[in-house]
Amino acid sequence: MTDLKPTLSPAITAATAPAGAPLVTVLDAKALAGLTQLDPTGANRLMQRVLTTYRGSLERLLSQMTHARQQSDMAALRLVTHTLKSSSASVGALALSVLCGDAEKSIREGQLDQLPSMLDHLAAEAARVDAAVLQLLSDK
Amino acid sequence: MTLPHTFDADDSPERPKVLLVDDDEVTLMLTAEALRERGFTITEANSGERALAMLADWMPDIVVLDAMMPGLDGFDTCHELREAPGFEDLPVLMLTGLDDEASINRAYQVGATDFFVKSNQWSLLAGRLRHVLRSARTRQELERSKSKLARAQDLARMGSFDWRNTASPGRAGGDLTLAPEALRVFGFGPQDRVSLRRLVRMVPMPERRGLTRVLSDVEAQSTVLAIDVPVTLPDGRTRIVHVEAEPEFNEHGHAIGYTGIVQDVTDRRVAEDRIRHLANFDALTGLPNRRQLIWRTERALDHARRLGHQAALLLIDLDRFKVINDTLGHAAGDELLVEVARRLRGCVRHSDQVMDGALESAGVRSHRTLEAVGRLGGDEFIALLPEVLDEEDAERVSRRILEAMREPIFVGGQECFVTASVGIAMYPRDGSSVADLMRNSDVAMYSVKNAGRNASAIYSPMLAGRGREKLELESALHKAIERNELVLHYQPKIDVRSARMVGAEALMRWQRGTSLVPPGDFIPLAEETGLIVPLSEWALREAARQAKVWAVNFGFADSIAVNLPNRMFERSDLVEHIHQCVSTYGVPHRAIQLEITETGLMKDLQNVIPSLHRLTEIGVEISIDDFGTGYSSLAYLTTLPISELKIDRSFVRDLGITPQSSAVVTAIIALARSLGLRVIAEGVENLRQMEVLHRLGCGVMQGFLFSRPIPPVELERWLEQTVLPRKAPWIVQAGAERLEPPRTTGGRRP
Repeated sequence: MTDLKPTLSPAITAATAPAGAPLVTVLDAKALAGLTQLDPTGANRLMQRVLTTYRGSLERLLSQMTHARQQSDMAALRLVTHTLKSSSASVGALALSVLCGDAEKSIREGQLDQLPSMLDHLAAEAARVDAAVLQLLSDK
Repeated sequence: MTLPHTFDADDSPERPKVLLVDDDEVTLMLTAEALRERGFTITEANSGERALAMLADWMPDIVVLDAMMPGLDGFDTCHELREAPGFEDLPVLMLTGLDDEASINRAYQVGATDFFVKSNQWSLLAGRLRHVLRSARTRQELERSKSKLARAQDLARMGSFDWRNTASPGRAGGDLTLAPEALRVFGFGPQDRVSLRRLVRMVPMPERRGLTRVLSDVEAQSTVLAIDVPVTLPDGRTRIVHVEAEPEFNEHGHAIGYTGIVQDVTDRRVAEDRIRHLANFDALTGLPNRRQLIWRTERALDHARRLGHQAALLLIDLDRFKVINDTLGHAAGDELLVEVARRLRGCVRHSDQVMDGALESAGVRSHRTLEAVGRLGGDEFIALLPEVLDEEDAERVSRRILEAMREPIFVGGQECFVTASVGIAMYPRDGSSVADLMRNSDVAMYSVKNAGRNASAIYSPMLAGRGREKLELESALHKAIERNELVLHYQPKIDVRSARMVGAEALMRWQRGTSLVPPGDFIPLAEETGLIVPLSEWALREAARQAKVWAVNFGFADSIAVNLPNRMFERSDLVEHIHQCVSTYGVPHRAIQLEITETGLMKDLQNVIPSLHRLTEIGVEISIDDFGTGYSSLAYLTTLPISELKIDRSFVRDLGITPQSSAVVTAIIALARSLGLRVIAEGVENLRQMEVLHRLGCGVMQGFLFSRPIPPVELERWLEQTVLPRKAPWIVQAGAERLEPPRTTGGRRP
């Protein structure tokens, strides 16, 4: 938990910073552009729906993760990290996606030594992503 | 095999229907949106359970499954889907992680069509989907055409097979794979394993040997196989299977086996056989017809030519078949032909089937299967003997044929007696072609007809020349009867003591155009051609009619003598015929007297005697003509049922000139008297002869002195104008000597 802060502050900084470069560190601009292309006119409000869905999904998965950690349910942890990995990648939360991928890999390979810190790190990044997404939604 | 789709689906839908399954709502939403963008119709499901529930009553074109899902994951979902009927061929694309090789392997294990590593590069996913759909469509088309082919093969009772010549010590016969349709052709189920050896054993024995030889020849030379084989199926049915196969070679050019089809061609063969049978066999008797006979004979002659042996052709023509047909009707005639055909078959080693292809290879004796009896048409049959040692061989068969006809045939409610005339032509002596042999056997057959039928004859060149002449005469004589060109002239028999006519001899004349043909010019030929029979029958009828006319006109109550050849006496129906003639005209049996020459009588005494007895019993008297010229057995003469001896004209002519002749006449008269027979002299031309005969004790005569043979009307006039008025010189003389008052008409005997 100690190393949570240093990673947390830039995210907030980025999220609260004016639209531009800082946000890119949390949500990949290219990926977001890809999303925009799926609904170029915004008629389907796709971006809003996706981001809202993602937030809901993120909240659900994070609580599932907390529960699984308490129960030491590795299978549940693996599913959570797997799902969060791909959905995060979809919305451009590449750092979070990588963290999820690493955690998933550790669980799959049974290398659990680093797992608690990896998961802490993951949760912190998730908080940053959530803030960034929220920021993005309010901009729209 | 089920057809994947109905025909309305042309398998290139504008917007393929995709069922997208992912528990991650974000991915699901984005993927769905991206694919919609690219022309797909997306239906979303956020779990495996939900997906399966949707598929219960709906069929997408493709399913995209996320591998990792809580609950029923992608693998389980795919597995369950594949288990469900109808989903065996539904394309399933599995979405996996990039680094997850285990998942990829598992995806294939559970029946996924393909896998795709999850990414945000939607165009790649769309491209993959199109590819999977296209290959699925291609596969479906292949399946469909495979199943069409299978159905077509099934309908055609056809199936394919494959044979590998995996010759290894333990595996003789190689490796045979039969498609289910091919198994069905042989009566097996789709699961049965059948070896080549097993199949070969289903072929019955005589053909099996040929088949194994053909198979090993074909394999040894790597040639194409095409053969029809009879097989006995496991259920006992016999079918004919057509096998056609081509050799297959590996990249080194070595033959590695055969691939081909088997087809049940029984029905076709049966139809073909039926057609062939109709074309080659006579519909009435079932015997080979003319066409088939000619074909067989050609084959037989080929063979005889090559091997240098003789062959024989027997032409068999029924005697008097036309009469049977005319009197009993055509149905009875047909019945009779069928029975004759049956008997004729028994006289040779008749084979209905010629061992065709095997003719060359099955050994020298195979041409024997050509041997047969066939029907040329009408009442003409042919027996083909493909190999004979000599003409005695052929004659033996013809004797067998004549013998087979001897038993009466029961048709149309009565017994018929049929005889046949057989003409024999020998190859190569009597002809080297079918046509020559046919013609010459015909000539020989006609010579039998001419000589009295019911016999056989071998062709000789001599017959041919005479045959034509006789044919012309025969046809002219036939017409003579039809056209009423034949007439009977009558020569009176005179009892000189009473100067009365005591009977008349009927003599045949042929009124041919304006000329009158004397009997010497056509009777011998009629005898040779056999036409003497209908001629004689006509003469008997005509004589009976004349007897009636005279009875009415002037009270004639004596006999009219009709000359019959000895052959007529052999006929069992002679008595019946005479009975019919006299009954028709209402005259007594004794109105007809029969004259048979001494020579004719003695030639065939044994066969003639029974007739003579029966004739005598019914009152028909027999007179022996030309007596003294033949070599009569006096012993027989005493026992024969005869009534009259007729002194031959040669003795009469010499009476008063040579002493020998009067000695003979004296002896004949003495013999007749002692046997209780009447005696009559013929050829009396002058008063001297009459006087001598009278003196020697013969009072009844005929000859030019009294009258030539004259038409019946003239005879009446002669009686009226010469006998009645007693104006002739012979009457004066006889009357002067005997002083017996003459009677008024040619009346009754004392």
